[in-house]
Amino acid sequence: MSVMRKMQWTTKNLALCAVLTALALGLSTLENLFPVSLVIPLPGVKLGLANIVTVFALYELGAAPALVILLARCCLGSLFAGNASALLFSLLGGLTAMVTMIGLKHSRRLSIYGVSIGGAAAHNLGQMAAAVITLGNTMVLGYLPFLLAVSLVTGTLTGFVSALLFQAMAHVRLSK
Amino acid sequence: MTTSASQPELKWNRYDAVAALIVALLAVAAALWFYLPKVNSGGLTVVISVDGQQTERVRLDRFTQATVSNGGYTLRVASDGEGVWIASSDCPGQDCVHTGRIRRGGQSIVCLPAQVVVYLEGAASPDAPDVIVG
Repeated sequence: MSVMRKMQWTTKNLALCAVLTALALGLSTLENLFPVSLVIPLPGVKLGLANIVTVFALYELGAAPALVILLARCCLGSLFAGNASALLFSLLGGLTAMVTMIGLKHSRRLSIYGVSIGGAAAHNLGQMAAAVITLGNTMVLGYLPFLLAVSLVTGTLTGFVSALLFQAMAHVRLSK
Repeated sequence: MTTSASQPELKWNRYDAVAALIVALLAVAAALWFYLPKVNSGGLTVVISVDGQQTERVRLDRFTQATVSNGGYTLRVASDGEGVWIASSDCPGQDCVHTGRIRRGGQSIVCLPAQVVVYLEGAASPDAPDVIVG
């Protein structure tokens, strides 16, 4: 049974959001050093390590702080990369994943694995929408089956790491 | 201002399996939608789209190669009559080159930095023009 708590927007929690944003940006940069696309040659395919932070923030802090962290990560990531078109991909992918994970979390049926898999699949759907808008061509949707299949693996991986994180921090209450 | 948080269930359960199954079924449905109707549908047509505009449309058996430049990047599209691939590109990710050869209707090669899509269309109409370059 889930235990609902209320996170106060205190200075400490704002600082925590900033730290988690920095961590998400760091993980995004880190995964660029190990391009999955060399093994699975699909445009935009990634491990989604930054999503570990999103999942963690969603459960530990709640939907609103997780959304703030996501938006900050997307905007700063595109700014640092100097790539404006990447912002649309990040935002559409990230927001679709976030809305899906909030919905799945509230269902209270799924574990962190199911929520993470749903988020990964939704992220790819959002990015496909961004690709269709950017390229002006629906043929890119041909990548969708492969990206959805990849999201099963990456979502499970993200869920696994997030579960390990919560187990390791079982006695720590960051947001208090 | 406050916002709600909750402790997650950390063990895989049957509902997670249902969620995974739904994603897998979506993948299969999308694969069938995109690839099944176009297999064995006769002649194929190579279509090159740049910034959402078709710039080339050539029957696969008559397509040899093309060079496409956009957004500061140049791609060389090659063919052996049975499929097409990006032989070279100066884009940073090289995902388009790593995609390799496509040879079935519905398959595509995407270069996001150059905003180029190369794809194969199912059947070429017998009275379709051989080449449109625009």
